[in-house]
Amino acid sequence: MPESLVPPGLTYLADNIISKDNILGAGKIKGAEWAKGLNLDRAGETIFFAGCGYQYSNDLESLMSLLRKIDKSAISTEWTMGVAGFQKKLGIDAAGIYRKLTSRGNSGYEPLRAAIKVLDKIGIKPGYLAEEEPCCGGPLYFSGLQKQFSERAQNVYNRLTSKGAREIISIVPSCTYTLRDLLPKYVNGDRLNIRHFCEVIAEMVPSLKLKYPDKVKVTYHDSCQLVRYLGLVKEPRSILSSIENIEFVEPKQTAGVWSTCCGGGGGFEVVFPELSLTLAKNRVKELVATGAEIIITHCPGCMMQLEAGLKELKLDNIKVMDLSEVVAAALGV
Amino acid sequence: MSEFNEYKKEIMDAAHNERISLALTRAIASYRGNVNNALQKFPHTIKLAEDVREIRSKSILQMEKLAQIACEAIESNKGKAYIAKDAGEALAIVQKLVGKNKLIVKGKSITAHEIELQEHLEAWGNQVYETDLGEFIVQQLKQRPMHVLSPAIHVPKEDVAALLSKLSGKDLPPTDIEKMVATARELLRDKFINADIGISGANVVAADVGTIFLIENEGNIRLATTLPPVHIAIIGMDKLVPTLGDAFKLVEVAWRYANYTVPSYVSMTSGPSKTGDIEKVTTYGAHGPKEFHVIFLDNGRTKLAQNSILCEVMYCLGCGGCLYECPVFAVTAGHFGDKRFAGAGAVWAALSGNKEKAAAIAYTCLTCGRCKVRCPMSIDTPAMCLELRKILAEDKSLL
Repeated sequence: MPESLVPPGLTYLADNIISKDNILGAGKIKGAEWAKGLNLDRAGETIFFAGCGYQYSNDLESLMSLLRKIDKSAISTEWTMGVAGFQKKLGIDAAGIYRKLTSRGNSGYEPLRAAIKVLDKIGIKPGYLAEEEPCCGGPLYFSGLQKQFSERAQNVYNRLTSKGAREIISIVPSCTYTLRDLLPKYVNGDRLNIRHFCEVIAEMVPSLKLKYPDKVKVTYHDSCQLVRYLGLVKEPRSILSSIENIEFVEPKQTAGVWSTCCGGGGGFEVVFPELSLTLAKNRVKELVATGAEIIITHCPGCMMQLEAGLKELKLDNIKVMDLSEVVAAALGV
Repeated sequence: MSEFNEYKKEIMDAAHNERISLALTRAIASYRGNVNNALQKFPHTIKLAEDVREIRSKSILQMEKLAQIACEAIESNKGKAYIAKDAGEALAIVQKLVGKNKLIVKGKSITAHEIELQEHLEAWGNQVYETDLGEFIVQQLKQRPMHVLSPAIHVPKEDVAALLSKLSGKDLPPTDIEKMVATARELLRDKFINADIGISGANVVAADVGTIFLIENEGNIRLATTLPPVHIAIIGMDKLVPTLGDAFKLVEVAWRYANYTVPSYVSMTSGPSKTGDIEKVTTYGAHGPKEFHVIFLDNGRTKLAQNSILCEVMYCLGCGGCLYECPVFAVTAGHFGDKRFAGAGAVWAALSGNKEKAAAIAYTCLTCGRCKVRCPMSIDTPAMCLELRKILAEDKSLL
């Protein structure tokens, strides 16, 4: 395929999706590990879509950390990513080996587990396709590989609906947008209603007693996909402002639809690893200027970027939490 | 990939240049304050912007017709009008009008940069002076503009002082900005007075009466287009709107989103200077130019109008708001771009035929969409970049 104008970092990720059905090119069974012990059915009218971002976030973080080191060195990431792609064709997954050696823990699982516990508390027990969950393929579309995206689309839709699903509760913003707005362009069939997790929770807020275990001052970072592509501005806010013990402050000029991108958009971070870190730092500065001790966000990409930014700025006393974790804590689950 | 690597190096050098980030941080804060103030004072501007988008989207689909109407109107005003299919044709027309050994003063024009006008004029043996202060600084430093309205946004005052000291023979301290501006005024004064030709672009053209609108704060455009005996305007065909009323709406929206409740000057030029004060005998070239030439440039615009996603780039009013709200631009300034900047700049780069440059810029866009939120025309730059990525990935051509 004539992909010479597509940056190698993006073709590397695209190849992972096409050949291994996830953005990292990892084994699928490892991915579904986050749901261990949650006893989710493998079928259902309502399905929870976990997506790649949270599940593989630790591995993605390792990969990004490696890419940033390379980006600063004399070796270009373009060359490296090109070599990585070439190696994979030979059956060697050097990047994968590096990842396995350096990845620390499974913190990406927490927002997913929290989401399931929250849904359970409000009476929703979704199914989960586990290792049979298809990758939504969104990064293909955003890389310009719309043709490859469209070639997978029907298969993605079929697999999603194969166990009787009518509604999907999705938590990764870009996956949600892909399933809701991009997939329908290329498939026959309109049986699926796609909702984002925070839409489901926001509806239930009036009937919930939400109290965070400690008194905290928090701010909220809107992910580009959630706020400008999905239009979910008030939902996270109605949730946060109804939690007792939370003092909610927002940055001036850069909240809601004006939220400044964390630098993790459209595959940017694999094309410009170092620059994406600069953008992450810039966003972190805007958020910490509010005086908040916790930055809440609702996107695995933003979480990874903001954590990297905080680390680079040596702000160890400020942490990043996903909205699902905050709600889970506020519900005592 | 080597063009991409060169481009990435340029981007990263800019990102490492703290001066750029500092200059932009200040500019962004100032811009946001001014625009919020302007929109608060004149809240009708927001609805007006929606009307202007309607006008623009219709006009883009009838550029050729509007150009014909405008040409007829200008000629009936005793100006001369031309339609140039591409940069080559436009330059040929200019060369015929200018010749060589002329002193030329210029108002700021992105379209002139698009066709590399200065380089050609100088190659033909003419002397060209940019008169917009930012463009003048950038021209004299032999750099390229780094923002649509503030071309010298990246240049520290120390460098400006050094440049103006060298040009004037005076010793200018970098802390006295007023003195620097006064020096620039002095340096350019006699150029305005002695120039043979004044060249400008335009912000918008009202086709029905054949009137070009020029927005400015410095006053350099008035001088450049009034003092010399010949005024040549080079204008993209996308700048045409049907009526005078349309044009007034457009400029009001443009200057509000560009930072100003109202700019210092807006000039409407429709023909050469004339008088009938002596026995009602109409004579041309009274106090202003004797000749007024307008060149409407296509250069791919009519073809671009056929792509329903990419044509939006031509709705642009040139306010520069998108650049101030772009997280990447805040760190790299105009290095993220070519002749035009940021995500929208990728479309123009593609139009110029440079696929590799277009790809490099298109893949630098975060697709975050802040620009679209700021844009008075709601131009969907992320969608344009994604469309471009698709076209380039599939090795198709833009037109």
